[in-house]
Amino acid sequence: MIMERLRASTLLWLAIAMAVLLALPLVVKSSFAIDIFIRILLFSFIGVAWNLMGGYAKQLSLGHAAYFGLGAYTSTILQIDFGISPWIGMIAGGGVAMLASLPIGWLCFRLRGPYFTIATIATAQALMLIFLKFRDFAWGAEGTTIPNLGSAPLMMQFETKASYYYVVLGLLVVGLAITSLIERSWMGYYLVAIGEDEDAAEAIGVNAPRIKRDIYLISSFLTALAGTFYTQYIYFIDPATAFSFSISIEAALVSIVGGIGTLWGPVIGTVLLETTSTLLQSWLGNTIGGVQLTVYALILMAVILWRPTGLMGMISEAYQRYIGRKPAHA
Amino acid sequence: MLETVAQAVINGLLIGGIYALVSIGVTLIFGVVKVVNFAQGEFVMIGMYISFFLANQFGIDPLVSLAVSIPVLFVVGVLIQHFLIRRVLGPNDMPQIFLTFALSLLLLNLALMLFTANYRTVHTSYSDEAFHIGGLYIPEAKLIAFVVAMALSGALWVFLHTTDLGKAMRAAAQNRDVATLMGINPNRVFCVALGIALALAGAAGSLLMPFYSAYPFVGQVFVLMAFVAVVLGTLGNVIGALIASLMMGVAESLGIQFVGADSGLIVVFAMLLLTLAFKPTGLGGGRAR
Repeated sequence: MIMERLRASTLLWLAIAMAVLLALPLVVKSSFAIDIFIRILLFSFIGVAWNLMGGYAKQLSLGHAAYFGLGAYTSTILQIDFGISPWIGMIAGGGVAMLASLPIGWLCFRLRGPYFTIATIATAQALMLIFLKFRDFAWGAEGTTIPNLGSAPLMMQFETKASYYYVVLGLLVVGLAITSLIERSWMGYYLVAIGEDEDAAEAIGVNAPRIKRDIYLISSFLTALAGTFYTQYIYFIDPATAFSFSISIEAALVSIVGGIGTLWGPVIGTVLLETTSTLLQSWLGNTIGGVQLTVYALILMAVILWRPTGLMGMISEAYQRYIGRKPAHA
Repeated sequence: MLETVAQAVINGLLIGGIYALVSIGVTLIFGVVKVVNFAQGEFVMIGMYISFFLANQFGIDPLVSLAVSIPVLFVVGVLIQHFLIRRVLGPNDMPQIFLTFALSLLLLNLALMLFTANYRTVHTSYSDEAFHIGGLYIPEAKLIAFVVAMALSGALWVFLHTTDLGKAMRAAAQNRDVATLMGINPNRVFCVALGIALALAGAAGSLLMPFYSAYPFVGQVFVLMAFVAVVLGTLGNVIGALIASLMMGVAESLGIQFVGADSGLIVVFAMLLLTLAFKPTGLGGGRAR
């Protein structure tokens, strides 16, 4: 009963939010602003993909750049060497990422906790080294530019930034819809059970290795889509950007700051972090290296020490207080 | 050929001594406090900058500045345990991993802001000296670093096995609850463990300075090596970490010699992945957790 009523109001809010997001590029014309919106949507999407595995199942990967890079490289190689549209390449990249997640997961899931995290870092770095070293099939360290075809929507190239905005908005909607479906399914409960206590979950009959493998497949597929989009957006690819450790960091960071294992956490986290970073850049300029990550690190430490549930936790506590109920403890 | 191999093995052992100081720190913190310190490499970096500035401003030899970097980082370690890590100890991995990770990110980027990304070197009277034994070449600065590193590791072993505090640390590592029941104050033991671990990292930094450049990202090289060595040598095992570090140094050096100058890291990753695939509990056995 309560669920049904909540659903109606939630749908209303979603419709309003969607209308605002769709109308945004029509109102805001500054390409600087659109660029920031695209970054926010893109990192929200990467965060959402990470959060499926890192948030719900608490498999704290710091190696998601591996799939971002594989997605980017697959679609770019298909486009440049075979003339295949990045739209198809994007899905192919997702497939490659899923295939890669099987052996990587097989290796990394043997470890738990911090050593799982270290192993994921190592696999992403190893992939970057491979793409740096073998220049025959991927242009080595110099990377390559994507041929600019002007306005070619079928090749995922657009004249206006607004079109890119709608593409990445679409990706985020897909990511959130998948998360929402999983959250309500048995799989969602299994993931949370694994995240709470893997041994206990197995003891009550959750097939933890299978569930972890499946969620890793989904998470790496989505991350790869972001890789293709990003490469098409900046018209450039090289191992250092495609497999950048900072992609892995940001994916985890936005989810933790926003609220780990919640539907909207990664989005809220990205809005906070990207806004902060934009403000910092406009105040200080780009002259001093390291300012942005210093501030990110301080925010992350503050969240972990004082608000481990992230901004979502703060918001829901405030809401519960507002409607005069005790906060529901998960 | 044989000489080339012998030379590569010597080079590997010498740098392996430095890896050992970093790995022992990581494994000590993991064994006693059950936290993986992602920021361990950044304390090597801090040790290097301490020695760099003392050498640059006051002309103090990096080996003498060990007397500064070791106590300073010991105190830093105690403070970090008392004010940060103590607050996230619990059954949940997430805050522990991301607290030390955030610390690493913070220190690295602070260093970038304060010292810029430039490479800093210190030139000492023995930086270019070397012993020649047969056809083999042993750089003096690296030999000194290796000897001091082994001496510090030995001193730690003696401390852990003969003093009351050392025994208390080993007891807390084996079973925290029982150790607490025996009257051991866990936070005090944890503070000492962090202090010693960071002091070792600082010592590694000072020892590196005569033959290695300091830059903000320098710690990443060493921490990666340390993580591999610690997995290989079984988590929490000091002797295991020492032996594994020396092995890693030799493996890396052989990789550079026979596969290519940029292949050191690939060899390290290959070792990590092989360890994970076939012996995730490390060479010493035990549980993977």
